[in-house]
Amino acid sequence: MRFTLIKDIKQDVGMKSVLSGLLIFTILYIIVDYFVKQSGFGVSPESVALTLFGNPDEFLDPMSPSSFLEFAHIEIFFIMMILLTLSAVYIRMSNKRIHSILIVNIATLGALVSLVALGGAYYFHEGFVGVYVVGSFVWRSLAFYMSVYSLWRLHFATSL
Amino acid sequence: MLYFLVFSFLLLLSGVLLFEEKLGFSREGVLSYYLGDEERFTQPKSVAGILKIVLPHVFTFGLFVMVILHFLVFTKVKKTKKFQTIVYLSFATAFSELFSPLFIVNGFEFFAYVKIASFFTFEFLILYVSWLLFKSIVYD
Repeated sequence: MRFTLIKDIKQDVGMKSVLSGLLIFTILYIIVDYFVKQSGFGVSPESVALTLFGNPDEFLDPMSPSSFLEFAHIEIFFIMMILLTLSAVYIRMSNKRIHSILIVNIATLGALVSLVALGGAYYFHEGFVGVYVVGSFVWRSLAFYMSVYSLWRLHFATSL
Repeated sequence: MLYFLVFSFLLLLSGVLLFEEKLGFSREGVLSYYLGDEERFTQPKSVAGILKIVLPHVFTFGLFVMVILHFLVFTKVKKTKKFQTIVYLSFATAFSELFSPLFIVNGFEFFAYVKIASFFTFEFLILYVSWLLFKSIVYD
């Protein structure tokens, strides 16, 4: 993460375009991930519960333990890597230190809560589905904000 | 950094649960997963099928191990011989964990033990590195 060491990123044309690319792709990932989740796993408490537990009335099978674990395993890895890189970029770009640290902490805690709640919903109690949905919404919204804000600062801020 | 360690722990935990669910921690479990089992109506895995699983894992193992190990550079461990040992051992166990199934499906059943041993060694190493990092954050 060499960009954290460069004094004025705006003057470094190479690093500026590399970071722009990363941020645009992160925004695309968040948008595409939402639509993929909406069409498959679900984004509302009802649709997520239907995917996890099925519905005998509609002859829908519940998610198998191995499919669930594969899904959770992949989610953990992607969220971890996205938040790690995005937080580093966002903290470097932001000019409000306390504000940026607060946003990063809320986003990461939201992601962790959503992942733990996902496991809790599948193995312990259906009520955790709501916590998962709220946690997911929180981290995704903040990650989107962090990406857009960093991109805006990268191109329109007077100095970085 | 602390958050990254928590995410790493969740990743390891889900990995262990997935391994237990799909293969099990016994030689027989690993062999029946890769060589098929008539009683469970499971087909033997093909080389192409194994490579499909290996492909995304090769990149993600490399990336994950690089990210977590590079944090050690900022600790006191950097200057010790232990650091090099951890680096080499982490990549070596990740490699044998990923590629040992290819030997299993080609008749070398002994590699079921290699698969289990390398999986646990890898998990232990990542936990150990996480502990070193945690200790460094708290005490240094």
